[in-house]
Amino acid sequence: MANQSGSVYGLTLLSPILDDERAVPSHDLQIRKYLATLPTGADSPFAIAPGTHLARLVVMDDVIYVGMPACEEHLKSKYLVFESNCDGDLDTYLTGLATKVPQHLDAIWSHCTGYPGASDVPAFLRYMKACQIDTTFFFAAVNDKSVTDTLVALQTQRAVADFIATHQGMDTAQTQREFIEFLKILKAAPPPAPGVMGPHRDIKTGGRNE
Amino acid sequence: MSRLNATDLQGFVLRGYNMPYARYCFLHFEDSQRACTLIHRLLPIITTGQRWDQGKPQSTVNIAFTHQGLISLELPIATLISFPVEFQQGMLERGGILGDTGVNSVEHWDPVWRDGQVHAWLGIHAQSPEALDARATEMQALMTETGGARLLDSQDAAAIVMDGKVTLKEHFGYTDGFGNPDYLGVCRSTHPGQGKLMPDGTWAPLATGELLLGYADEAGELPVAPVPHILASNGTFMVYRKLHQNVGTFRHFLDKWSARYGAGDALAREKLASKFIGRWRDGTPVELSPDLPDPGIAQNPNRSTDFTYGNDAAGTRCPIGAHIRRVHPRDAFGFEGRLINRRRITRRGLPYGPFALEEDASTEHDPAELDATDRGVIFMALNASISRQFEFVQQQWISYGNDAHLGNEKDLLMGSHGEGEKYVIQGDTNPANPPFVCTSLPNFVELRGGEYFFLPSITALGMIAMGLVDPR
Repeated sequence: MANQSGSVYGLTLLSPILDDERAVPSHDLQIRKYLATLPTGADSPFAIAPGTHLARLVVMDDVIYVGMPACEEHLKSKYLVFESNCDGDLDTYLTGLATKVPQHLDAIWSHCTGYPGASDVPAFLRYMKACQIDTTFFFAAVNDKSVTDTLVALQTQRAVADFIATHQGMDTAQTQREFIEFLKILKAAPPPAPGVMGPHRDIKTGGRNE
Repeated sequence: MSRLNATDLQGFVLRGYNMPYARYCFLHFEDSQRACTLIHRLLPIITTGQRWDQGKPQSTVNIAFTHQGLISLELPIATLISFPVEFQQGMLERGGILGDTGVNSVEHWDPVWRDGQVHAWLGIHAQSPEALDARATEMQALMTETGGARLLDSQDAAAIVMDGKVTLKEHFGYTDGFGNPDYLGVCRSTHPGQGKLMPDGTWAPLATGELLLGYADEAGELPVAPVPHILASNGTFMVYRKLHQNVGTFRHFLDKWSARYGAGDALAREKLASKFIGRWRDGTPVELSPDLPDPGIAQNPNRSTDFTYGNDAAGTRCPIGAHIRRVHPRDAFGFEGRLINRRRITRRGLPYGPFALEEDASTEHDPAELDATDRGVIFMALNASISRQFEFVQQQWISYGNDAHLGNEKDLLMGSHGEGEKYVIQGDTNPANPPFVCTSLPNFVELRGGEYFFLPSITALGMIAMGLVDPR
């Protein structure tokens, strides 16, 4: 099934944006403005609601005419594109969004045709599924673990690496004692919060090279 | 493709001259007309890629320009803005991408690199100090006579001599200069391990367009190049970086950690050093000879770069983070090595500063004193696209570890380290090859400046000298 890769679900939605000449600024611009100020760290709606590995919201104005010999074509509407690689089944994921961050969903999707609002969860689920198209590509870095499992695994990896670095060469009996103690603390530690990136990296990356 | 026109290429692009002495002169153009006169006078002197069938010359001369230099030569604006963005910006502006921060930031650079005054690099290589001086004097006389350029500064570099013999060593004691790639059409003696890995396990030359502008690259595309085509064709871009080496810090680090590594003896110390780079200090690849250096491999060019990492996915022979595995992962990322064919660079370079013998060092010299001595390596990289090749390697493979599944880990010797960073050496159950983690990583290498240069063809030099660059 195209939308499922192991335990990870690939969600792709295309929601037509309202075309209303009286709206100032136009609905697509209002979405853009809201998205531009949406938090991306721990306060991101996708960190607050459970289950998002990676999400992307894009306003698609039209297909771009690239000149001859291409033929000129246009979309019937502007679209809001929502892509998400998320945990579990779709109903649970969308319900999580509707109950945890309804204000964000409403602020964004209220500019889309036929959006019923997040407060009516069954209607919200029907609407989102009506906008859904099949996902054919997943974000490559998402593995087959849940978001929580991934965060815990990263925490474990860092902690174990630190333990090894501070204990290599130590007397084995003492290492074992300290490892048992270390495991107790590690197992009791709460999972790290989503949306909080690793250590700060003092280097520019991403789309800034060109 | 047909054979390259070696007479149109600057020789420095085609081959490392393998001459032990060098002086890199940094020029500032005062007046475009006079500068063009100087370039015109230099034209017959510039060393081309022609074969040295009549014997190796005593010295060579090559020239390359910064974007500021091309501006001061008054190239047409349509040409100037057609150069790749990273070249137009220059190395200083690209510091964020390169990780040139902290001890590597501009405040620590040699003054000549701080304010964009360098317009050209005039590279002189020579077989003897006398030949070097003679050539430099000739160049200075030309500059004075034409009034075409002012010498801002110069950098001497020289191969390290040990026991009266010229070596390929750098200051940390490693043998350097293995495995530059082969390119289609570039005639030189080729050895397995150079170029790109083919599905049947053999090696083939890389597409010419990975080195030279005007030819198809590994994607079948022409590299981004300035207009007109003939200005770019047979030219390349050069990255120049002066890398100071903290020799005291390196030796102290090696002493400190090797005491706890394996048997903690002299062999363990050498083995640990080999795990940093992926080669024993004599040049033997640890992938081929994990237990001992083997001169039979190191000194045989048919063997010294002929290896892959496919059977060492866990890094128990060559650590996954070892320098040579990072910057040239060969097949380590799968897909028969195809992911790396557009990330290769050709390296030129020589050490600078006095060599300190290791035997003296641990006993007699204070590490801080060893660090303070002005010495290191002049690193020069040639590539068709600085952003796709050099900058990518520096940013993603030196300053980051994700492609190698090493998270945020950086190259041990080249990386600019922060608090809490580690270097992990994978190992196995052999007590002489234990898994090992080094922490509290210091900065072994510090950037002292540099720039991005355009190294044009002989034709292009002539066009520049005669004011014939026409972008239409």
